[in-house]
Amino acid sequence: MTRLVVQGLSKRYPGAAAPALDRLDLTIESGTLTALLGPSGCGKTTALKLIAGLLSPDAGDIRLDDASIRDLAPERRGVAMVFQNPLLFPHLTVAGNVGFGLKMRGLGAAEVTARVDAMLAMVQLAGLGHRRPAQLSGGQQQRAALARALVLQPNLLLLDEPLSSLDAGLRDEMRDLIRSLQRETGITTLIVTHDQAEAVALSDRIALLLDGRLAQHAAPQDFYRRPASMAVARFFGGVNFLAGRVEGALFHGPFGVLPLAHAEENGPATLTIRPEAIRLCPGPAAHSATVQDRCFLGTQSRITLDLSGTILQALAPPEAVRTLTPGDKVGVTIPPEALWVLPPNQPHSPDNSTA
Amino acid sequence: MRGDRLRTLVGMLLAGGLVLPFLPLAVWSVAHGWRYPDLLPQDWTGKAWTYALSDSAGVLHSFALTSFIALATTVLAALIGVPAGRALGLYRFRGKGLVTLLLLAPAILPGLAVVFGLHAILLRAGLTGTVTGVILAHLIPVLPYITLVMAAVFARFDTDFEDQARSLGASPLQTFRYVTLPAILPGLLTGALFAFLVSWSQYLLTLAIGGGRVQTLPLVLYGFAASGRNDVTGAIALLYILPGVVILIVSARLITGRGAALAGGLRP
Amino acid sequence: MTDSRRILLLLAPALIVLGGLFLTGLGLTLLRSFRYMPALGLTDPDLAAYRDILTSPGFLKSLALSLWIAGASTLIATCLALGAALLLRRTFPGRGLVSFLVQLNLTVPHVVGAIGILYLFSQSGAFARLAHAAGLIGVPADFPALTQDPAAIGIILLYVWKELPFITLILLANLQTIGDDHEATARSLGASPWQSFRHVLLPMLAPGLFAASVLVFAFAFGAYEVPLILGAHSPKALPVLAWQAYTDTDLALRPQAMAMAVIIALVGLALLLLYARMMRQGGPDAR
Repeated sequence: MTRLVVQGLSKRYPGAAAPALDRLDLTIESGTLTALLGPSGCGKTTALKLIAGLLSPDAGDIRLDDASIRDLAPERRGVAMVFQNPLLFPHLTVAGNVGFGLKMRGLGAAEVTARVDAMLAMVQLAGLGHRRPAQLSGGQQQRAALARALVLQPNLLLLDEPLSSLDAGLRDEMRDLIRSLQRETGITTLIVTHDQAEAVALSDRIALLLDGRLAQHAAPQDFYRRPASMAVARFFGGVNFLAGRVEGALFHGPFGVLPLAHAEENGPATLTIRPEAIRLCPGPAAHSATVQDRCFLGTQSRITLDLSGTILQALAPPEAVRTLTPGDKVGVTIPPEALWVLPPNQPHSPDNSTA
Repeated sequence: MRGDRLRTLVGMLLAGGLVLPFLPLAVWSVAHGWRYPDLLPQDWTGKAWTYALSDSAGVLHSFALTSFIALATTVLAALIGVPAGRALGLYRFRGKGLVTLLLLAPAILPGLAVVFGLHAILLRAGLTGTVTGVILAHLIPVLPYITLVMAAVFARFDTDFEDQARSLGASPLQTFRYVTLPAILPGLLTGALFAFLVSWSQYLLTLAIGGGRVQTLPLVLYGFAASGRNDVTGAIALLYILPGVVILIVSARLITGRGAALAGGLRP
Repeated sequence: MTDSRRILLLLAPALIVLGGLFLTGLGLTLLRSFRYMPALGLTDPDLAAYRDILTSPGFLKSLALSLWIAGASTLIATCLALGAALLLRRTFPGRGLVSFLVQLNLTVPHVVGAIGILYLFSQSGAFARLAHAAGLIGVPADFPALTQDPAAIGIILLYVWKELPFITLILLANLQTIGDDHEATARSLGASPWQSFRHVLLPMLAPGLFAASVLVFAFAFGAYEVPLILGAHSPKALPVLAWQAYTDTDLALRPQAMAMAVIIALVGLALLLLYARMMRQGGPDAR
């Protein structure tokens, strides 16, 4: 049960124009499963390697339970990292691989075997210990790599894109396995991913990194309902951004006045509306819109609406909007809870859940 | 198929040509009197062989000495060449081209270019006429060979394996011993076997630095050849090529046997 | 530890050994070729040794002979190796044997091969005796001088015998990397087998082939033991001449030996740079 605190962590690769990480501040509470999310090249794998001790930072500190590990060698940190590529040692059997860390610690052979067998059972690889890595499927290799790290009962577990190299079906299985193992063992876990759907499905909390900085650190729902900035909202698929003015609990926007859930700071502001929150009805409603386009996406349909010149996108169950065609007039209701005023002029928020 | 038959014919011609120089050596080694213009010896005998293998000929002692020198040179070259090969294989750095050139130079420049000056250096160090001096001299062609082989091996090595091992609790030494070494071992062994042969075949360097006191097998062989003892020469020549045959068979096994599993796992 | 410090640490032993033995050895040879030997009280460098050898017909003949040996051997070995590689590229009955013999040849020291060639081609050797048995010659002197002859035929034969397998194996490795697809494409575009070889395969093999020939040339030029066994009394190959000058009781010849060694080194250096250029052409990741 270990709490990770990263403070002011910075790293620039020699010859790079911009730093990979720029004064990152992050607190991961003990026992949580946190996703470190961000587009490729935003510094997430760098952060992971810094925490694991495989890279040294230019500045900043890393603390586990208030003890700094910044200057410790990788093998002394109690931090186990699993790479994107399973990296099972080809010259060892699966059991030899899983027991590797225990052997390095000097544990006796009998003890190692016992722990390895228990771990293999936990990841559903029982009986495959004597095989060589090349004889396992991709999914099995991934599970073996996971077992190899978990058997060490590390203070902190780091997973770099554990699902990226797997096919869709295997991905769900692996995701569920990671989830249940983490719950069972209670090990503080940090997972790096570039896939926001994966982060949302997997983690207790998400830390979103954009351009080497922490953009938002919150529960998954908050990224949809209360994004900290336009960049964050965009990353999570937000598309409706309205510029206007706030006065008290009202938003004066391009197509009229929208009541807000509660009063916000007066002044110019940007409002964002989740597409799935916009409700359409055939009859009269608060607003009236013309359908511009309807696009079937599988589990949902995307409707492009024109509200007095403003283009909004809505998501609705396909059955509900099957009969709509471009040119139709529909009523549009936007519940106040679906509205979110973006914090003024702040590309990134500090490390706290947005209130 | 006509194409196949043509290939077999040419192949057999090539094979014949490759084997040809060994034939007179083999026949001479068991000949008792073989004068011109006889196509075959007047008589056959094992005397040349028994003499060559006896203590008085000094051949066996020379065989052991040459083996020792080749082994010592190879081990020394491996200890120096593995880290150097790692630097060349894994990193890009300024001056890399120059270093590579410096490593290639002893392999391309003839030994004569350096041997006179080398003799002066080792003379001052009191190492001329000694086995140690000869080993140091042999390092010159052997070290670049092993270094460049190891550079190629390391170029194929994924250092993420080492990172993974460290992250699982292995110290740098443990990582080298349990992860890196098994991965580079097949390439290292193959390189070492042929490096052994480079030292095994050295003539001029041994002659110049050993000063006649370090009698390796090629020098002994030449001695007998120059003195006209063709029969003993034949026997020694066949003894001299024996380790090469063994090394060839062993290294072929390395590449196709268990080594293949290790070598194949270098890049997942 | 930073990367550059680590790199330096890894390279240090090799650099020390090569610097201390190889470069210093070259340097001393160079200094002494200028007759600069403080230990003997000679502190005025001059070019007397170079003048002596460059005006000596003996040296010039030796240099020409060594260049001839290296050039002829390399050319013949390269052409034959191309053929051998194309031969061994495909399976055929007996390929395993030929393959084994080619690899075996690599492990044979030059001294052994030289003695074997001597016993085969000398005027009282195996071929001479066959000629006698066929009634073509009488006494050994009737057989043409192929060994210890002024044209160095025996020496060239030995080098071809040793270097052909070496170049062949390099070519085979390159052929495997190149694969068959390029020629197949050429053929499907209408090229004949010869055209496909000449215009597609050969250009792709060229860099590796040139690099291998440079190595072969360097060895054939500077090796000592082969002309020692198979060379004529006069003209001597350059390495033999240089060694003789070095071991001569007349110490005044020492600087000349050094000068000859420097000439050999310069030829080697030119070949080294040529080789480095070839390898760079081989591809951006050719190290």
